[in-house]
Amino acid sequence: MTRKDYLLNQKQKGRHLFGVFPAQYPKELLWAMDIVPAEIWDPPLEITAANAHLQPYICSVVKLGLELVLEGKCDMLDGFLFPHTCDSIQNIASVIRDCLSENKPCYFFYHPKNPHGKAARDYYVLELKNLTLSLEKQLGPLNPDALKQRIQQGHKISGLFGEFYDLRAKGKLDVGNREFYEQLRRGEYLFPDDLIPELEGFLARNKGKEKKGLTPVILSGVLPNPPEILTLLDDLGVSVAHDDLLIGSRRLLVPPSNLKDPFKQLAESYFSMPPCSTKGAPIVERREYLLHLIKATGAKGVIFNVVKFCEPEWFDVPNLTDELKKRGTSTLVLDTELNQGLSGQMKTRVEAFVEMIS
Amino acid sequence: MSLAQKARYNFMKDLGAPALLWLQEAQRKKRSRKPNPYLGPPLKCAGRLREIMTRHYYLSRFTKGAKPVAWVTSGAPVELLRVFDFYTIYPENHGALCGAQKKGPEICSEAEKKGYHPDLCSYARIDLGHAFSGKTPAGRLPRPDLLFCANNICQTVLYWYKELSYYWDIPLIIFDTPYNFQDIRKKDIEYMVRQFEEMIPELERISGRKYSHDRFRKIISIARESASTWGRVLATMKHRPAPMSIFDAFVHLAPIVSLRGLPVALDYYRILLDELEERIAKGIGAVTNERKRLMWDNIAVWFNLRDWSSLFAERGFNFVAATYTNAWAETIHYLDERFPFESMARAYSLVILNNNLSNRLKLMEQMIRDYEIDGLVILSLRSCKPYSVGQYDIRRLLGDRLGIRSVVIESDMTDFRTYSEEQTRTRLEAFFEALEV
Repeated sequence: MTRKDYLLNQKQKGRHLFGVFPAQYPKELLWAMDIVPAEIWDPPLEITAANAHLQPYICSVVKLGLELVLEGKCDMLDGFLFPHTCDSIQNIASVIRDCLSENKPCYFFYHPKNPHGKAARDYYVLELKNLTLSLEKQLGPLNPDALKQRIQQGHKISGLFGEFYDLRAKGKLDVGNREFYEQLRRGEYLFPDDLIPELEGFLARNKGKEKKGLTPVILSGVLPNPPEILTLLDDLGVSVAHDDLLIGSRRLLVPPSNLKDPFKQLAESYFSMPPCSTKGAPIVERREYLLHLIKATGAKGVIFNVVKFCEPEWFDVPNLTDELKKRGTSTLVLDTELNQGLSGQMKTRVEAFVEMIS
Repeated sequence: MSLAQKARYNFMKDLGAPALLWLQEAQRKKRSRKPNPYLGPPLKCAGRLREIMTRHYYLSRFTKGAKPVAWVTSGAPVELLRVFDFYTIYPENHGALCGAQKKGPEICSEAEKKGYHPDLCSYARIDLGHAFSGKTPAGRLPRPDLLFCANNICQTVLYWYKELSYYWDIPLIIFDTPYNFQDIRKKDIEYMVRQFEEMIPELERISGRKYSHDRFRKIISIARESASTWGRVLATMKHRPAPMSIFDAFVHLAPIVSLRGLPVALDYYRILLDELEERIAKGIGAVTNERKRLMWDNIAVWFNLRDWSSLFAERGFNFVAATYTNAWAETIHYLDERFPFESMARAYSLVILNNNLSNRLKLMEQMIRDYEIDGLVILSLRSCKPYSVGQYDIRRLLGDRLGIRSVVIESDMTDFRTYSEEQTRTRLEAFFEALEV
C-alpha cells in the first residue's frame, strides 16, 4: 500500500491526519489523540510553485514541504504541526499560517535550545501540556490511559529500531542499505498499531548470519537522500553500519523513562536522545557520539551527506570532520539537493572514498 | 584581575584613547570629502560617534586582566552582563565594520579555508575567520572570557557561538527565547526568568563579581531611556523633509547595539536628538530635494552604504524608515526596573525576528502609514534566513493591502562576492520608474 493510500485508509477509519514538518515532536501524544502524523521531509515533487515564495538559498526540505502544501496535496489533512527546528522551518510555519490562504489548524512545538538547565526541562513539560490543550480544543479530551499506552508503544518501537541498528552494526541484518532505510522511514507515517508488527516481521525475516566482507561506514546528516547513494554504497560493498542522521538514530533511539508522570516521561526521553545540531547540542557531545559509533561498529569512515543550505548541520561539519581526521577516521562531505539523483561527480567522489577506506 | 593590568587599562582610558582620537581626527580632517550636492549637510554628531566607537574598540585591547570580556549577540539582554562589569564586544557590529571597510570576503575566506561553507551567514564567517586569523580592521579584539548568545534574532547565532566556544574552550551562556508563533505566554516569560536566575551564579563565577539588584535596576532604567531616545531619533524622520536618512541611522545605530545600558549611549542619543530637532526647525533635510519617502526591510548592505545613499538621493528619494533600525526601539520600552527580569524577558522575546509574520506585517503597515512611505525596498539576504524567509509573501500582502510599490533586491550584508551590481541596478531602475508613475 502506498503512503497516500495508507493515510486515506486511516482517515476512513476515523483517525485524524496531521502533516508534520521536521524534525523532533512528541509522536506518542499525537497517537494518543488518534492523530496519524505524516511527516513531511522530502516528498517526490519538482519545486515550482514554492519558488514564488522562497528564495533560491532556502533548503530543499523547506521548499518541498511548501510545494506539497501549494500543490494541494495536503487537502486530506486535518492540521499541521511545526516543531521549531531551525529558522527556515520557523518562518515557513508562519508563511503557511499567516500569509497563505491555508485554513487548516496549525500547531507549533518549541524545543528549548538551552538543553542543560532545569528550566529547559520544566519548560519542555509545559510545552507538551500546552500542545495537549491546544489539540483538545479541536479533537476533544486526551485520554490519559491512551497516552500511557502510546508511550509504551513508543518504547517498543524504539527498542525494535535499537535492535535493527545493533544487528546492522554486527552485520547480522540481511538487507542492503536502501532496503534498511526504506523500512526505517515507513515509521514517518505508519500508526504504531501497524508499525510494530511490521517491524517485528521485518526483523524476523531478515535476522541472519553475520555478513562478512562489507566495509562499514557511518552516515551523518539529515536524511539519506538522494536514495541512489544508498544503492551505490550497496553496489560498492559498503554497509551503513550506523548513522547519525536526523531522521535516523538522533530521534529513533529514544531511551525509555521509568518516571510515573507521562509528560515527564516524554521529557526525560527527549533530553536523553543522542545529540543533535537542531537541539543546540555542543560539538563535544556530537564528536563523542560519532566516536562511540565508530568504535562500536568498526566503521572505516564517516560520510556527511548534508542538505544544501542546512545551517545547523553545516556549522558542525568542519569541527567534526577535523576531529575525526585527527583520530584517523576518513570523512567525505557531500553537499546535496533532495530528489536530484546522484550526479556523476558525486558518484565519483563516493567511489574514490570507498576505494580509499576499503 | 591584576592591579597592574587595571592601572594600564585606566591609563589608556584617560590618556591613550584621547591621544589616539586626537590623532585620528587630525588625519581625517586632511582627507575631508567633497560635499555631495544631493545630500544635506552631514550630521555634526558623526564626529562624536566616531570618538565613542573608536574608543570602545581601542580600549578593548587593554581589558585583559582588568575587566572580564564577553562577546555578545546583538539581541542579547546585555543589561544583566553590565551588572558584572563585562566589557562587551559585538561580533555582528564588528562584522558590519569589516563589511563597511570592504574586508568581508577576505576575512570570510579564512573561515572557508577551515571548511565553513560559503552559504553560511557572513557575520559568522567573518567572526570565525577573525578568530582563526586575527584579521580585523579594528586593530585587535580581546579574546572573550564568556560568550553570551540569545536566539531571539536567529538560531544561527547558537550554531556560530557553539563553534567559538568549542574553538576557544570558553563558556557559552545561551538565553533561549521561545519563538512567538502566536502570543507570548506566561510560561514563556517564566522560562526566560528562570534562565536569568540560572545564569547569575555562572556570571558571578566568571566575572568574580557579585550580583547587585540595585545596580541592575539602574542599568535597566538607562537602557530603557536610551532605547526610548533612539526611538525618538528615528521618529524625527516622520517630518518632511526628514532630518536624517536610514543610511545615517544604520551608522548611528552602533551605540544602542554595542553600548546599551551604559550612560555613554544615552548621552549620545540626547545630543543626536537635539541636533535633529534643530535641523527640523531649520528645515534641513538629509536629502536636499526629498520627493519620495522609502522604507528599507532587512539589515544594511554595509559595503555599499555610501553608493546607495547617493544613488537614491540624486533622484530625490530618501529612506525614512527601516524595520532593522526600529528593532532596538520597538520593544525595549517594556523594560521596567520594578520588574527587571520579567520585563527584560518580554522586551527581548518580542523583537521583530522572534515574532510571527503576521506581527511583522502589522508593524510594517503601521510604519508605512506613520512615515508616509511611497515605496519599499526589500533586501533578500542570503545570510539571514529569519529576516528573509517570508519576504516575498510580505511584499505581496503589503501590495494588496496598501497598494505600496516595492522591489526585492538580492545581496549579502558584507560578502560582496554574491552581489551583482548590474542586476541590482536594473531592478532598481524599474522600481524608480514605477515610483514616478
